[in-house]
Amino acid sequence: MMSARAVGLGPALRKAAFSQNIVRNQVALRTILAKRTIQTQSVSPAAGEEILNSQRLKRPSSPHFTIYQPQITWIGSIVNRVTGGALSALLYGFSIAYLIAPGTFDSTHVVEFVAGLPDYVKYSGKTILALPFAFHSWNGLRHLSWDMGKFLSLKGAYGSAYAVMGATVVTTAALVMM
Amino acid sequence: MSSSILLRSAFKSAASKNALRSALQVRHATSSTAQYVPGGPIYKGTVNDPTTFPPSSKVHGSYHWAFERLLSASLIPLTGAAFVTSGTAYPILDGILGVSLVMHSHIGFDSMIVDYLHARKFPILGPIATWTLRTATVATLVGIYEFNTNDIGLTELITKVWTA
Repeated sequence: MMSARAVGLGPALRKAAFSQNIVRNQVALRTILAKRTIQTQSVSPAAGEEILNSQRLKRPSSPHFTIYQPQITWIGSIVNRVTGGALSALLYGFSIAYLIAPGTFDSTHVVEFVAGLPDYVKYSGKTILALPFAFHSWNGLRHLSWDMGKFLSLKGAYGSAYAVMGATVVTTAALVMM
Repeated sequence: MSSSILLRSAFKSAASKNALRSALQVRHATSSTAQYVPGGPIYKGTVNDPTTFPPSSKVHGSYHWAFERLLSASLIPLTGAAFVTSGTAYPILDGILGVSLVMHSHIGFDSMIVDYLHARKFPILGPIATWTLRTATVATLVGIYEFNTNDIGLTELITKVWTA
């Protein structure tokens, strides 16, 4: 190699190595090999559809939550559903409990029970109730403003999301202190 | 008017042809090893067949959507009113809240069932969930009515529990 470069043959050799002829020969070689190893077979449309269907059954579900990037847009959406569902479950649970056992779940008993709880349970319980209520209320306003055609841009969605988060923190703190 | 009837009848005959074709194809597909899962990745018929239209209903669509927004928006002044007044002094507020909050919750739960447990994908569990929700909603409405009439009412209860 050193000698080839010394006598100035380097470029010529390189040119020969990457010349069009050789490339063409390699492609020709590959197609000959492919003809030998890969065989195609023609199948009926029904059999083809069956192959396709067995492939379709192996497809992963979408969206792929373990690899999907957490973003404020979709996290805010699912948190809105979870908080609303939790508050509604409480409303349903209490109302049905009162319907079944009005003697146990009347206001006197409920208030007595809550009054007897230690302070840290009261404050954490208030936080657990106030946080979803505050978020769902503010985010509900965000949804209604979207329905009126406002904040529909990506910037608007992010800005309103941060506004809702800030308002949620302040409201939760205020409600817990009440 | 007449043109729309014409269009509809043309559509109907086309739809019945498609139904016949897909019925034949479904019979053919059952002989294959790949099984059709409701809502799964395997098409009914072939890729060239159009999807069937859901039956039209007057309670779905824009009226339903507008009603949901109206309900959500009306909860804003109702919640505000519940904060500044007492439910005992204004029992009508408890009554309206007892109905509107339950309706809002019912719509929310129902959308979850439609999204996660649709009858198309869950032919047994889906309808069970829908009817369980309907039963629970009726029970909740009765329970909250009982509480509002025989006890102190919803807003008064929240106030008392919060300051207990």
